[in-house]
Amino acid sequence: MRPIEKYVEAMENKDFAGLAELFTPDGILCDYCTTSASQQEYHIYGKEAINMFFRNKFGFRRYSILDAEVVNDEQAEFIANFGGYNIMAIATVRETDENGLIQRLTVRPK
Amino acid sequence: MGVYAITGASSGIGAKTKELLLQKGHEVINIDLKGGDICVNLATPEGRQTAVDKLHELHPEGLDGMICNAGVSGACGNLELIISLNYFGTVAIAKGVYDLLQKKHGSCVVTVSNTISQGAGRKDIVDLLNNIGDEKRVLSLVSSMDSTNLSVGNSLYVSTKYALARWVRRVSATWAANGVRINAVAPGNVHTAMTATMSTTAKMALNALPIPTKYGQECLMAPEEIAEVMVFLASDSARGVNGNIMFVDGGTDALLNSEKVY
Repeated sequence: MRPIEKYVEAMENKDFAGLAELFTPDGILCDYCTTSASQQEYHIYGKEAINMFFRNKFGFRRYSILDAEVVNDEQAEFIANFGGYNIMAIATVRETDENGLIQRLTVRPK
Repeated sequence: MGVYAITGASSGIGAKTKELLLQKGHEVINIDLKGGDICVNLATPEGRQTAVDKLHELHPEGLDGMICNAGVSGACGNLELIISLNYFGTVAIAKGVYDLLQKKHGSCVVTVSNTISQGAGRKDIVDLLNNIGDEKRVLSLVSSMDSTNLSVGNSLYVSTKYALARWVRRVSATWAANGVRINAVAPGNVHTAMTATMSTTAKMALNALPIPTKYGQECLMAPEEIAEVMVFLASDSARGVNGNIMFVDGGTDALLNSEKVY
C-alpha cells in the first residue's frame, strides 16, 4: 500500500497508533481545514504527538473522515468531520523518507 | 518564615502543597470542610465569611500567601456545588483576604484546570459568572439542568474554571499595582483517590487526554508535580509573574492547542 492509502485506512479506522507509525520520528501533520470549523489549525510535530493528538480527537469524537477516495499517489479526498462540522478536504503526502515513512502531510480544504 | 492559607488542603494537590510549604518552615492554615484548621463549607456565603473572619482574627498582621485550591470535579453529581464551591467560594475567599495579602505584599494562587482550553465550557455560564456574579441566579439556572448527565457536569466544571482563570486575569493588574500578585495553575489530570478507583471506561476517557510527559505510561500527574508549581508561584521567586495561567499538565495543552501562543 502507498503511504496515502495507509493514512486513509488509519484515519477511517480511528487507529491513532497505526497512524503515528506511518510517520518518521519527526514527521509533521498539518491540517488547515480547522479554521473553517472555527478551530485552530493543527500542526502536530513528531510521531508520538500524532499518536496522542489523534487518540484524543478520536476518543472524544472530535475528528473523523468520511467518503475517502485516493485520487493519485500522494493525495486523497474526503469529508473531514470536526465535531459535527463537515469540510471537503484533500490530504497530500508532501514528503516521505527512503523507507516510505511520511515526513510531512498536509490536509487542506478542497 | 511566612504565613500561608490554603483551601482544600485535607487531600490531593492541596495536601501536598501544604506539606511542601510546611517543609519550607512556613505556617500553613488549612481551610476545608473536614480535617481543616478552619472547618467551613466554602460552598455557602456563611462558610466563606467565617473563614475570612477567622483568618483576620488569627493573622491581623497579614498573609504571605492565599492558595485557593478547593473545588469539586464535574462528576460530583451536584451541579450547584460545582458553581458555588469552584467559582464563588474561590473568588469570595481571595477577595476576602485581599487586605491581608496587601499588608505583606503577598500573593494569591488559584487552581483552575487545563480543560479550560479544550472548548467544553459554556460561554454563557462563564459570562454570567464573571460579568453578573449573581450566585442565586446562576444556581437557579443550573437547578433545571440534568445532574445525572456527566457532560453537563463537566461543562459546568470547565465553565467555573474558565471563569476563574478570566477573573484572575482581570484583577491581576490592579492587585499587582497594590502589591498583591495573583496567578492560576491549570493542572492536567491528577492521580487521586478518586481516579485510583474509577471504572475502566472512565480511565479510558482520561487516557484519551494525553499527558506528553507520561507518554506510554498510562498514568496521571502526581499531586506533587502541581503542588511544586503552586508553591513556586506563591513564593517570592515568582515575583515577576502575575496574571499568568500556568498550565501544569505535562504538555497536554501545547499538544492540543499548539497555535495558541498567547
